[in-house]
Amino acid sequence: MGMEWYIVRRVAWAAIVTFIIVTITWGLMTAAPNPQVQQAVTQAAMDGENPAEAEERMEAQLQLDRPLHVRFMDYVVGVYTLEWGWSNTRNQPVTAALVSALYYTVQYSVPWTILTVLIGPIVGVYSAANQYSWRDHAATGVAFFGYAIPNFFFGIILLLIFGVQLEWIPIVYQTGVPVFSVQNVIQLTIPIFVLVTGSIGAIMRVSRNEAAEYANADFVKTAKAKGVSTYRIYARHVIRPTMVPLSTTMVGYLLAIFTGSSLLVEVVFGIPGLGRTLYDAVVAQDTNLVLGSTLFFTFVATIGNLLQDLVYTVLDPRISFEDR
Amino acid sequence: MTDEPLLSVEGLTTEFDTDNGVLTAVDGIDFEIPRGETVCLVGESGSGKTVASESITRIVPTPPGEVTGSVRFDGQEITSLSESELREIRGGRIAHVFQNPQDALNHCYTVGWQIVEAVQTHEPDTSEEEARERAIELLNDVGVANAAARLDDYPHEFSGGQKQRVMIAMALVTNPDLLIADEPTTALDVTVQAQILNLLEELQEEYSMSILFVTHDLGVVAQIADHVVVMYAGKVMERGTVEEIFDDPSHPYTRALLECLPGQARSAEGIPGTLPSPIDPPDGCRFAPRCDYAVEECTAGDQPPEEPLTDTHAVSCVHYQQGYDPSTVKTEFTQEDGTVTGGVSGD
Ligand code: SF4
Repeated sequence: MGMEWYIVRRVAWAAIVTFIIVTITWGLMTAAPNPQVQQAVTQAAMDGENPAEAEERMEAQLQLDRPLHVRFMDYVVGVYTLEWGWSNTRNQPVTAALVSALYYTVQYSVPWTILTVLIGPIVGVYSAANQYSWRDHAATGVAFFGYAIPNFFFGIILLLIFGVQLEWIPIVYQTGVPVFSVQNVIQLTIPIFVLVTGSIGAIMRVSRNEAAEYANADFVKTAKAKGVSTYRIYARHVIRPTMVPLSTTMVGYLLAIFTGSSLLVEVVFGIPGLGRTLYDAVVAQDTNLVLGSTLFFTFVATIGNLLQDLVYTVLDPRISFEDR
Repeated sequence: MTDEPLLSVEGLTTEFDTDNGVLTAVDGIDFEIPRGETVCLVGESGSGKTVASESITRIVPTPPGEVTGSVRFDGQEITSLSESELREIRGGRIAHVFQNPQDALNHCYTVGWQIVEAVQTHEPDTSEEEARERAIELLNDVGVANAAARLDDYPHEFSGGQKQRVMIAMALVTNPDLLIADEPTTALDVTVQAQILNLLEELQEEYSMSILFVTHDLGVVAQIADHVVVMYAGKVMERGTVEEIFDDPSHPYTRALLECLPGQARSAEGIPGTLPSPIDPPDGCRFAPRCDYAVEECTAGDQPPEEPLTDTHAVSCVHYQQGYDPSTVKTEFTQEDGTVTGGVSGD
């Protein structure tokens, strides 16, 4: 009881949330006029045919003439069986388009997330341990710099310096290079660097402030009086409670950057990832692909929030599961 | 065993560098802790007693703190030791128990983990199992029921009194020579307080430790002290055996504290006035602004030197110097019921 039951309920809740989101997207899509039908109607009108007939024909072809609940069921089944429709602009199934985009997004997101999650808290706790020293001030300066400068702007500047002036990195992202190759590392360094500087600042500040609070806690004094070394005090006694509030901030924050900044960075650096795909789909009015990308981001966010809650409960033993 | 005291402190001074200037929390105090005995450091909050107790093994944060003076522990000067040498003593031969058991244990780790950490910090070769065995023994010893089963519980699953027992068990891990207990019962219920005090007295016998007990509560002092050191504003006002302090209180501050005990004349209102600023203390006797017997000489120069009354009893007040009459400050104690006595009974 307790934790297991809580996890079951939390997972069930995440499933319900995704279902609600799927339903809302379907509602919006059904309420909006279908571009293909409209196109057929316009075409018919221009060709001098009967627009109403053309509309019916197109609706029948697209199976839009069936009752709403049948269409809804079909759609829901489709979403959960990963039949997300056909992308007109890419001429491939939406899922295939997303998978190929994901392939590029993962290449920079994974190193970016790992670096942020590792460096952010460590530098933050280090700052807290050396409060008001020049190292602390330096870290604070870097944090505010990364926080304040817009990612895409910073990306363009770096691209100008390293791509155009110094010619160290290709100006346009090379999709042909193997994932684990020096060229790939070189071309991903700058986008990852831009994203890390953007995300790490907030994480550093939160962990520094939390850790500074715990550094003066009574239990830290107890540990010191036990003879525990300063390093171990921070590595064990301070980091652990710091991670509790931090885990909450971190997941939400990374998700926000993932959905927002990654798009800008992909556009700036020409990486054909998820953000770029969504952007192109919106511009080209490829409805299915827009929906698919949106659903994907929603699922990522829901799963991220789920993980965040689970991590939270594991980290802080004081949480009572009964009343949540 | 020698006659030399286990711990002797001379000119211990602890200063903190703050934005408003240098704050002198402990201002050159001397005291000794005889082997196997209990010394109480007494004073109001803000008197510097806690900082003094935490300056011995330098667990006060340095910087901003700075500890000077001499601390001899079992014949060895420990103020000049390096941080890593001091770490061996902390939680090794000198253990601490703190005031607030609610926060003194890390809420993210089980009590077993925290006791095992204490064991392995000082005996790195001890295996996890051995350390856990030892933890169970100690928890039994300090009266935590069902110790083996409770080892993997988190601190929040224990009551305040039980947490303090866990803290005490953790302090005993290395069989210390000196236990420094800072207000260990203040945050607890009255009945639990009495249990913890009894436990400490029993353990003192069992482990033949000396105890430095920091408290503001003279009732507790009467119960457990062998010797008493009365502190005010970072200075020692009076020192003596527990009998001397309770039967022949000599310093106006000590007497004022005793008058605040339940049943005594000042029990309701306390001592009027507040502690002087530790950043810019007054000239002369620190207690002068609140003292009923202050004369002109009290506000000039430094704190009056300690005048010995007996081998063990000394007092820092001008009225005990040559040419003054101590009886001016030794007025009679008036109890609430009107009874007049020369001292306050120790129990
Ligand atoms: S020295 Fe003066 S001010 Fe201080 S306690 Fe004695 S009488 Fe009071």
